[in-house]
Amino acid sequence: MSRLNFWSGVAIFTWILLALLLLLPVGTVLVSSLYDPAGDFTFGNYLTFLTETRFHRALLNTLVVGFGGLAGALLLGSIMAFCVSRFVIFGGRFVSLLAILALVSPPFIGAYSWIVLFGAGGLVRSGLREIGIQMPPIYGLGGILVVFSLKFYPYVYLMVSGALSNVNRSLEEAAEGLGLTPWQRTFRISFPMVFPALSAGGLLAFIHAIADFGTPRLLGRGYTVLATEAFTLYSAEVGSNMSMATTISVVLIVVSMLFVFLQRYMSRRNVYHGNMINKPIRIRLKGWRNVAAHVAVYLIGLLGALPVIISIIYSFRLTNGPVFQPGFGLQSYARILFNLGDVVRNSLTFSVVAVILIVLVGTIVGVYVARRTTLNTSLLDAAFMIPYVMPGIVIGIAYIAIFNTGPIVLTGTAAIIILSIFIRRLPYAVRTTASSLRQISPSMEEAAISLGYSPFQAFIRITVPLIIPGIIAGGMLSFVTAINELSSSLVLYVGSTVTMPVRIYLLILDGDFGTAAAMASILLLLSGVAVYIAFRFLGRNEQALL
Amino acid sequence: MAYLMVEKATKQFTPTFKALDEVSVSVEKGEFFTLLGPSGCGKTTLLRAIAGFSDLTIGNITLAGTDLRKVPPHQRDIGMVFQDYAVFPHLSVFENVAFGLKPRKVAEAERKARVEEALATVRLSALAERMPAAMSGGQQQRIGIARAMVIKPRLLLMDEPLSNLDAKLRIELREEIRDIQKQIDIAAIYVTHDQEEALAISDRICVMSGGHVEQVGSPQDIYGNPQTLFVANFVGTLNKFKNGTELSRLLRSVSLGDVAGETWTIRPERLVLADGAAESLGSGFALSGTVRKYTYLGREAHVLVETGVGDLVVHISNPGRSAGQHAGEPVSVLVPREALMGFDSAGKRIAIGG
Repeated sequence: MSRLNFWSGVAIFTWILLALLLLLPVGTVLVSSLYDPAGDFTFGNYLTFLTETRFHRALLNTLVVGFGGLAGALLLGSIMAFCVSRFVIFGGRFVSLLAILALVSPPFIGAYSWIVLFGAGGLVRSGLREIGIQMPPIYGLGGILVVFSLKFYPYVYLMVSGALSNVNRSLEEAAEGLGLTPWQRTFRISFPMVFPALSAGGLLAFIHAIADFGTPRLLGRGYTVLATEAFTLYSAEVGSNMSMATTISVVLIVVSMLFVFLQRYMSRRNVYHGNMINKPIRIRLKGWRNVAAHVAVYLIGLLGALPVIISIIYSFRLTNGPVFQPGFGLQSYARILFNLGDVVRNSLTFSVVAVILIVLVGTIVGVYVARRTTLNTSLLDAAFMIPYVMPGIVIGIAYIAIFNTGPIVLTGTAAIIILSIFIRRLPYAVRTTASSLRQISPSMEEAAISLGYSPFQAFIRITVPLIIPGIIAGGMLSFVTAINELSSSLVLYVGSTVTMPVRIYLLILDGDFGTAAAMASILLLLSGVAVYIAFRFLGRNEQALL
Repeated sequence: MAYLMVEKATKQFTPTFKALDEVSVSVEKGEFFTLLGPSGCGKTTLLRAIAGFSDLTIGNITLAGTDLRKVPPHQRDIGMVFQDYAVFPHLSVFENVAFGLKPRKVAEAERKARVEEALATVRLSALAERMPAAMSGGQQQRIGIARAMVIKPRLLLMDEPLSNLDAKLRIELREEIRDIQKQIDIAAIYVTHDQEEALAISDRICVMSGGHVEQVGSPQDIYGNPQTLFVANFVGTLNKFKNGTELSRLLRSVSLGDVAGETWTIRPERLVLADGAAESLGSGFALSGTVRKYTYLGREAHVLVETGVGDLVVHISNPGRSAGQHAGEPVSVLVPREALMGFDSAGKRIAIGG
């Protein structure tokens, strides 16, 4: 009876949590988009959205960067996945590390590093001009797509290389025996086998591309997307238009939702399982093919990690104010230590608190969802899909909309930032716990019960130790997302709650790249440590980062 | 009163589906009792009801006179061996086996001695400190067996413990299980769908199908004297005669013409092959036929013969090394009267008398 009460309590608690932190804010966004600034009910905002070219352009541009990012990520990711999983590539693990670096670095750092190299006064561009080659600066759509392709290719790479190494070699041998040429084999056997992974990875790139705020903001130069439009409308000091910002948020949610469901559909569809008796082997290429494969892999890997490399190098350069000087030193780090320590502290506190909450609540709810299959848990499972489709900027705006006035006022507090991170990452923790629980055979607990342990003791002594590595690893990966979170924090921060990504963004806007680079390096180090710990617990499992 | 009594056990899963339908069985102390049947016959449901992992809808289970349904599963003192081994991967072999002794408050020294004894019984002493994850299925199941018996349970339940192992190991381990059970003299209930395994290991077998008991008996009874067509069919192989004039002639000639049977059958090894034309013999009947196929299997050979009562398989033990029968060869098949098994329209065995 007491167990029943405990789980009923969990169910009620979870629904209250979801209602307060998710359904209510998002509902407010929906409702607020239906009112004009004077407070009258209207479809005017949507009418405006449909009629004003400014918004047409933003929607079109969002789709363009989405599909462009998807195409670029597919191209780079599949080339890399194919080469790494089918050919002997010297330093293959290092290449995977480069992909992880690209994945865990904040995207706007990528944007800025590319500006440093290829911007109006960029290093490479100036260098090329001196030898007489004129090159257009990287601003605008082209630049955004380059950054997105290089930032999001790891999604495709990690998914496809996983799938490729699971294609039973006998299938290709059978095709060979039936007289198919290597090209035919690739397109008629291997390609259909990895298509689900390919499309799932590509759509993941799309979803992240349309939600990305930092890159179009820094590189766009007039190239606006929905995320930047929403932020502009919200943050304009004069004529801030909250209801129009929420209208755009709703459009962004709808687009995002469409592709999240497509992504889930694709990753479930046509997943072939075969026995893995005949594992694929890597071919050792010879001659120019070998050189080409290595050049392709390393080019993609290094270009993807370039922003990180640039940041680390620039973080050690001497500066005078925002201007770089010749020579290297720890000046930028000293500046952070003496002036911006509170920012680092903020980021660490917020992330750690958020992760602790995520792990605690996520584990309990995960156990509930996995162990009790009722209508309620199915509904919960569905409700937990909502954060997946919420771009950070939308959550930010939604939180401002609901927690600014009314019974609970949280604007300007640390709590609002922590909660926004918490709710966005909670579904991952719930799913990690639920899926690792489902992998443990129920006979494990039954064995303990038959040996004389009560069901609760059996759960504590057998199941908990078995899922803890997964929970810790999941917590570490949540920490990586939490500490790199920009878009929702940018809407929610005030002077005392500035986090590292927000500060980096502001520093870049101020032109102080030295300090920004140093802070980005610290951020990267923290993320790296978390990923390392996660891999220690999970085994090296790059797919867990997706 | 028997040691373990299951009376009219019924398990209703949905309003229309009963996994168990008034099943009654009893098991004596020290007896090796096997529940045999195809998947979905209710054998695992019954086992799990005895273990306490799922309760019956209606019915009684008593162990040594106490009502088991009132005892929560962790206080039933029943050892269980699982199909997927359920070895705890985060504990060493020793800790796995010692796991059940902790809640029993067994003193440190005795605990160590008992675990070592159990590990010696399953021949795993050398691996005591190893982690089980990398061990073979056979070794993991040995851990499972040691873990279940070290607590000296009142009853040992085994749920298809060998079905995930390869054939050779399965035979080896089933002999060991049998020896261990006799050695510690415990009542054991063993679930399997493998009829050969059931015959090899059991004191008594309970054949189940569709949630009810078909027959309970010794291996010899089950195989040699099946009481239903289902049992005859499920345990061992069976030739079914085609109904018709030829069958009537056969039955009349062995003076079974007036017995009202729906299905007549015979075991392939009870048929005898003779060369040339048919000739009657004392207590049987000779069918003339033609060889269709000859399959050589080493210690025996299977001959498929086309006869007037349908295609019959004849098992020949110790076939010669010289080439066997060829397709098209005429042969006669001798059908001994006492080997015939007749079943009525409900699948019940018909007595045919001497």
